[in-house]
Amino acid sequence: MSHLFPHLSRRHFLRAGAASAAISVSGWLAPLARLTANDAKRKRSCILLWMNGGPSTIDLWDLKPGHENGGKFKEIATKVPGMKIGEHLPEMAKWADRLSLVRTLNSREGDHSRATYVMRTGNSPMGAIHYPSIGGLLSKELGDPKSELPQFVSVAPQRLFNPEAYGAGYLGPTYDPLIVGEVGFNRVEQSKLEDILKVKNLERDPGTSAQVAATRTGLLQQMQSEFAAGTPSSVASSHVSAYERAVRLMNSSAGKAFDLEQEKKELRDQYGRNLFGQGCLLARRLVERGVPFVEVTLDGWDTHTDNFSAVKTHCGNLDRAWSRLMTDLKERGLLDSTLIVWMGEFGRTPRINPQGGRDHFPAAFSAVLAGGGIKGGSITGKTSADGTEIVERPTSIQDFLATTCLALGVDYEKQNLSNVGRPIRIVDKSANPIKQVIA
Amino acid sequence: MQRVASCLTALLLLTPATFADDPARELARAIDQALTADWARQNVHPAPQADDLAFLRRASLDLVGQIPSLEEVQSFLRDNSANKREKLLDRLLASKQHAVHLASVTRTEWMPQSLGNFRLQLQGTEFEAWLEAQFQKNAHFDEIARAILEAEATVGQRGMIDFGNRRETGDKQALSAFYVVADGKPEEMAAMTSRLFLGIKLECAQCHDHPFAPYTREQFWEFAAFFGEFTPLSPVAPSFVGPLLPQFESNRITIPNTTREVTARYFTGGEPVWKADRSPRRELADWLTVEGKPLFARNLANRLWAHLFGIGLIDPIDEPGEANPPNHPAVLNVLTDAAIRTKYDLRVLLKGIALSRAYQQTSRLTHPSQSDLRQFARMPTKGLTGHQIYDSLLTATGQSANILKETAQNRRFAANEAQGGTRGEFVSRFPQSNRRTESATSILQSLMLMNGKFISSLTTEEKNPLVGRLANSAGTSREAVELLFLSTLSRYPSRTERETFELYLESGGPAEDYSRAVGDLFWVLVNSTEFLLNH
Repeated sequence: MSHLFPHLSRRHFLRAGAASAAISVSGWLAPLARLTANDAKRKRSCILLWMNGGPSTIDLWDLKPGHENGGKFKEIATKVPGMKIGEHLPEMAKWADRLSLVRTLNSREGDHSRATYVMRTGNSPMGAIHYPSIGGLLSKELGDPKSELPQFVSVAPQRLFNPEAYGAGYLGPTYDPLIVGEVGFNRVEQSKLEDILKVKNLERDPGTSAQVAATRTGLLQQMQSEFAAGTPSSVASSHVSAYERAVRLMNSSAGKAFDLEQEKKELRDQYGRNLFGQGCLLARRLVERGVPFVEVTLDGWDTHTDNFSAVKTHCGNLDRAWSRLMTDLKERGLLDSTLIVWMGEFGRTPRINPQGGRDHFPAAFSAVLAGGGIKGGSITGKTSADGTEIVERPTSIQDFLATTCLALGVDYEKQNLSNVGRPIRIVDKSANPIKQVIA
Repeated sequence: MQRVASCLTALLLLTPATFADDPARELARAIDQALTADWARQNVHPAPQADDLAFLRRASLDLVGQIPSLEEVQSFLRDNSANKREKLLDRLLASKQHAVHLASVTRTEWMPQSLGNFRLQLQGTEFEAWLEAQFQKNAHFDEIARAILEAEATVGQRGMIDFGNRRETGDKQALSAFYVVADGKPEEMAAMTSRLFLGIKLECAQCHDHPFAPYTREQFWEFAAFFGEFTPLSPVAPSFVGPLLPQFESNRITIPNTTREVTARYFTGGEPVWKADRSPRRELADWLTVEGKPLFARNLANRLWAHLFGIGLIDPIDEPGEANPPNHPAVLNVLTDAAIRTKYDLRVLLKGIALSRAYQQTSRLTHPSQSDLRQFARMPTKGLTGHQIYDSLLTATGQSANILKETAQNRRFAANEAQGGTRGEFVSRFPQSNRRTESATSILQSLMLMNGKFISSLTTEEKNPLVGRLANSAGTSREAVELLFLSTLSRYPSRTERETFELYLESGGPAEDYSRAVGDLFWVLVNSTEFLLNH
């Protein structure tokens, strides 16, 4: 935090943060917002809103009202003349001047597992190379290795389709995400969301004193080094490194970032009392504390049957949480330095199937960039009247990731050493970023 | 290099004549020969043999999913017979725990979606129980594949596929898992069959011609047509209930988004001579071990090697091809031949691999040429699954007998954290990985092992019989340290470790309490990298 407010200690900031509950937003946050926004040293952050299952972008961002493929939903006007989106995102419509729509993403992968990998790493899964997820790549560029908080946090992921697409691949386990709120397929109790989103086991067992814990850890460290030296392996190094990071996290006050009960009840209601909504609130708290990459998953988009009622429900949660997140970031002076990326592994078929659903469709789908670093109110690409084809500006995931990097001020041609000994660029040199939407 | 080669040749010449009689020993010898030749050619210096206790620990973790108990360690140390390692393998492979472990690993690998998903969990656990029964009686792999593929299905009310009356027990319900997990879709069943039984990831060819292998979209759907009977029969009279007759029509499928209907064909070429009394799935099951034999045998060989070493001879397991050639083709051929000759006998094959020189090597690095794991010149280090960690913790406390007493159902349901209790927590936090030689430890896993309630309970006399025994025995602190190490790390402490740990016990730790100090040391040992990995 020191790079944000060099003249303020972290304790001062956290005390002030707790006091904000008693002070109105406009009274205290505005000066803070100005301070933050003007802090030249602040690096950008990225929040990835990951729509798991393949969201029906033809019903959200690129509607086809004149055609039978258009289905049940209507278009609505937004704050930006000429930009129309789906009727179930009315709050986001008011933020249209901070959104950049890309309507012509495409990939060759229609299988959940492969598509998840492609969209989250920028590369098709291919034999030997273990590509890192975007979170790993970007948090490495934007993050502070000395920070007590992990620099890549994944909130409520649903990793079943492709667990490898959520890891750090060849960057090594230091760049793996800290995962919170991973509930699998278990039912989520709405009243326990703040517990679900905490870092599990962060606190010492109550029966263990600090002194005993320190003694144990000391003995453990002695043992680790002997074994690791004689039997070197990536699994052993990963193990040792994870312990060190865990101890560091335990001993810092950084873990409080995950305590949602510090937030006002009304604000938590405004984000929505569901996993995604509270996850977005957590993302804001983490970004506030300098975490450069947070992803929040909204699951359930694989609407092969009854597409329209499912999409309407998901849009409700999405619209509420995302618009509140934009507001919060703006009020805290963080919106200009935070890029929000909205996407899923593919879109859905324009043709509606006999069960009222839409199936997988990677040939043409939408993604959205929002917040800082991009020209809001812009639309890239055009699809045909029936939604089945790209007419203008096909955008590969490499193009899209390159665009994301530019918006974050990251040099995407930078190389990392891969696990096959070959250096690999963050994004291919041949990528064609959408330069027109970079601010 | 010359010295290495001649040493190994000398070793091989010493093998007794009876070696050739036992198929497992013969397999081990053939593997050794092939691998040694590769090493010599590539100037690789293999690591020395692992000592007895290291081998005991490794074989126990791989074959029965837990570390050896203190009693097993002490008894193996006392055993002076020449073939003690072979006897150990025989004992482990014949044990119930082996069947339980292999079934758990296999079901998790084949049907990961059946773990946490409440819709699929019941069938998944029944399938695991069925697998246990097969492994217990040493069913050969072709029998297992056949049973799955030929599972009887009937059409129930409203055209839904049914695998037998809910009230029936037995195989029918268990085998339905394969089909339920595939969502009742022929293309999913075909993809699973190809991946699990042939070692080929065909599903890339579902929407377009396969990107790296010579299979076209049409070939994929022709293969899917073997499961054509699962395409919803339309129309089905609502009152129709009965067994599906073997049908010619059930071997056809329409390629989605087209009007093209294809008939079942093997994707390697050819088709069955269709007969009215032989269903397409039966033809497919037969084909696996006839024309499909090279792929079927090679897949089994590769998967069993990967189970023991953490990496297959072809890696990734299901993407063979020009871009991904086997690391040691001669070894793979030897193993594939053995799979065919033994008629896919899992126990013989596992024993043969485990008797090989490669599996007996230490995991310590003794020469730079051993760095590339794919040379198998030293034993790769593998991560442990949640089951293995939990079971090993219980064993370390002296409670290994409890593991099998725990209800089988609880074990199989454990992947769902909400239902699985402590075991469930471990299974969720430490998921089974396809890349065990690269598994990364996460912060959350470390926190669970350091601060979790279960581990904390194991530092007390009440919940840890070993701590209780050591805290109240008349023995010396030297003996206590030894027993702690043998129980947790399956080895004796080094001199430095002895000194440090004995001193700590005698001081009683920060609480100046001997019992608490024993608990502290137990905590340290089970949190160590050495405990939490298979090396």
